[in-house]
Amino acid sequence: MNRITIRVVFLFLVFSVFTQAQQPSARNEVVIKHAVVMTVTHGIIQNGSVYIKDGKIAAVGKDVSAPSSATAIDAGGKYLTPGIIDSHSHIALDDDVNEATSPITPQMMMIDAFDYQDKAIYRGLAGGVTTSLLLHGSANMIGGQAVVIKHKYGLNRDALLFPGAPRSIKFASGENPKRVYGGKDQLPSTRMGNFAVQREALVQAQDYMREWDDYNAKVKKGEKDASPPKRDLKMEALADVLRGNLLVQIHCYRADELLTEMAIAKEFGYKVRAFHHALEAYKVADQLAANNVAIATFSDWWGYKQEAWDAIPWNAVMSMRKGVRVAIKSDSGDFARRLNQEAAKSIRYGGATDEEALRMITLNAAWIIGVDDKVGSIDVGKDADLVIWDGYPLSSYGVPSKVFIDGDVYFDRSLPGFGMTHYSEGQ
Amino acid sequence: MNRLLVFCVLFSTAALAQQKTVLKGGKLLTISHGTIENGVLVMQNGKITAIGAEGSIMIPKDARVIDTRGMTIYPGLIDSEDNLGLTEISAEQSTNDLIESSDEIMPHMHVYDAFHAESELIPVTRLNGVTNAIIAPDTKDTLPGQDSFVQLAGKTSQEMLLIRDIAMPLNFTGDQRHNESWDKRKFPQTRMGMAAQLRQAFLDAQDYAQHWADYEKKKSEAAQKTDDKDKKPDDKDKEKDKKPPTPPKRDLKLEALLPYLQGKKPIVLAAEEANDLQTAVSLAHEFNLKFVLSHISHSQSVLDYVAGLKVPVIVGPIYEDPKPYERYDTVYSLPAQLYKRGVKIIFASFDAHNVRNLPYQAGYATAFGLPYDEALKAITLNAAETWGVADQLGSLDAGKAANVVVANGDPLDLRTDVKQVFIAGKEIPMTSRQTRLRDQYSGQ
Repeated sequence: MNRITIRVVFLFLVFSVFTQAQQPSARNEVVIKHAVVMTVTHGIIQNGSVYIKDGKIAAVGKDVSAPSSATAIDAGGKYLTPGIIDSHSHIALDDDVNEATSPITPQMMMIDAFDYQDKAIYRGLAGGVTTSLLLHGSANMIGGQAVVIKHKYGLNRDALLFPGAPRSIKFASGENPKRVYGGKDQLPSTRMGNFAVQREALVQAQDYMREWDDYNAKVKKGEKDASPPKRDLKMEALADVLRGNLLVQIHCYRADELLTEMAIAKEFGYKVRAFHHALEAYKVADQLAANNVAIATFSDWWGYKQEAWDAIPWNAVMSMRKGVRVAIKSDSGDFARRLNQEAAKSIRYGGATDEEALRMITLNAAWIIGVDDKVGSIDVGKDADLVIWDGYPLSSYGVPSKVFIDGDVYFDRSLPGFGMTHYSEGQ
Repeated sequence: MNRLLVFCVLFSTAALAQQKTVLKGGKLLTISHGTIENGVLVMQNGKITAIGAEGSIMIPKDARVIDTRGMTIYPGLIDSEDNLGLTEISAEQSTNDLIESSDEIMPHMHVYDAFHAESELIPVTRLNGVTNAIIAPDTKDTLPGQDSFVQLAGKTSQEMLLIRDIAMPLNFTGDQRHNESWDKRKFPQTRMGMAAQLRQAFLDAQDYAQHWADYEKKKSEAAQKTDDKDKKPDDKDKEKDKKPPTPPKRDLKLEALLPYLQGKKPIVLAAEEANDLQTAVSLAHEFNLKFVLSHISHSQSVLDYVAGLKVPVIVGPIYEDPKPYERYDTVYSLPAQLYKRGVKIIFASFDAHNVRNLPYQAGYATAFGLPYDEALKAITLNAAETWGVADQLGSLDAGKAANVVVANGDPLDLRTDVKQVFIAGKEIPMTSRQTRLRDQYSGQ
């Protein structure tokens, strides 16, 4: 196992070196002036400025001291927000979202399906989205491992990968697994079957871990004839769940299942990072808050299936008021283009403040992905992922004017054609 | 349909609204004659009886006066295509009556036969100010049936169905081909197949109409002859013709097409891309069909041609994803592009559960160049005019039905909260399954 960890670290190193090489040249300094800066963490700065150096936010405030060599961008009094973060997306996977041939497929790596040329990445970018969590589908109780991207459309594949983002794994429950496998007259076809399959897999992973622990202990003791157990990718992934090396993202609708998933996590000693959809979170918000489990939910989507029948548009704010960390996510290439509007609905449904609404598509979403130390707010030291808006972002009328990622402009509405700076058709 | 009669029924059932209700001191977005600040609107017998600036309108002494200062008041919104009353839970087939997909040509399917007045979706929808809608079958087939125009309140479906068979969708978006797989392929597998099938259906209906016309002619001739015979009782040669002609066999499917072939009612012609649009329009012209256009989301290259057709367009939904070769805002800006060319535009949700979000679509279109007043008209007066109900709906004018919405701000902004809805003068309870769940779990 240690070998693998080392390999993963090594791979990340390779990626980050590669990423550097792929970056657009602009390491130049930029200062955005005359903006209404919505920081998310420390209020709104009227007529504020943000100074960007080496792709990071170097200063933010009413007045920032930037060298005169820095390129000045006059926001002309427009709103400036952090880049939007989509904590539940299936874009750019070329429909290879579900390996629906077995209910337990933790060894699936979404990066293997990642289609960095999918125009959905561009359309999200044009909607202000700078980071997305690309998840396996919900056909399986335990699906695959996610990939985290930045929407640097036009660059090569590896330059779109979010450097150093933690690994996430997708679990699912409820109607989808039971329909997919029940429809083939296989296990699971009920919620009982769903959870039995999940527990069984976790028990196997415990056994697998024990075998490796025994082997490693023997090696440590210097037993020469110790032979290593057979490596099993599926079990390795689940062992990483049990060791807390993977953020567990669970597709789950009904209140009873939210509780069961938390009980299973407790039983096996791992943590649930976030429940996705979680349309009945408002019924058990206290328990979610007590377990520090976030939700990534829809604003007002409902009724598309039985387990979405008790969805109410007040879910986000009611859960938030009970102390749950709430994100609004897209789960679709369509919603990803206007997550700002979806978040703004929480102002109307339940009376979220504008900052709370904005946090649902920035900092809270970043926490779910585990990158809240790097993105999600306008704070010194964070990646300069920023959006200048035409109109007020938390209304029907907000449209991104310019989108920055790591300090570089990737989308500019005023440009002809696609409005992109690193891509032109037929390149 | 006898629209007048329908509206009379509607108003008599709203008799409990005999009481005069006055909304006093709000900002009235009349749609037809501008904005009135500090306005007064009087409702009685289900109708708006007076509207104007405070001071210019007599407030009846016995009226119930509602203080609406700080509120924005506008006519009930009209959704020009959705599936309300035909579905409850999308994935649960037993709750769906969306389309009779056993055949492509099903003009004799009437949504009014399935419209479910007690659907939980209806209160959810009207709570956001949508008061009227065109209910259409699902769009999987070319001719799936006929639309009805409803109001989203009433004790029974009879009360809610204002105009039955108001229009007929003809879908030619490319999604109606039955070519899911080569093994399961079934006619029509191609656009050629779809067009040929439609043509045959309209030709058959023309023939059918002819048979009936021939029959009617023979019948009247026979009647004539009988009259003649009465005059010449001993004319034996005419004896054979005395038998009245046999009527053609009635065919409900072909019969349903006749009002459209005769140009009495509009077809809603749905296409997405320029090629499909032109094929569909050619077909409509071939049979002299009266039509309005729908969708045309990817027909930007032929917008001048569209304008030349001089028909209203139900745009979008503008959230339709652009094609990979299109700029991100191609569909968002379609309403503005059409408006610039003088086309009358209308918005529709083309949805069921999310119809309540109709006004936000209009709002977003303004961020891409559509003038605000036009956006508002596209979900009120333009829709009413297109569906032939502008004498009753679509604006705040004396004499029109009292479908009135009171909100705490801009109707097109998603932050705005709708406070009160009146449908045919009746104050709608501002509750739904969703508010009940909210209240049930808020208390804990």
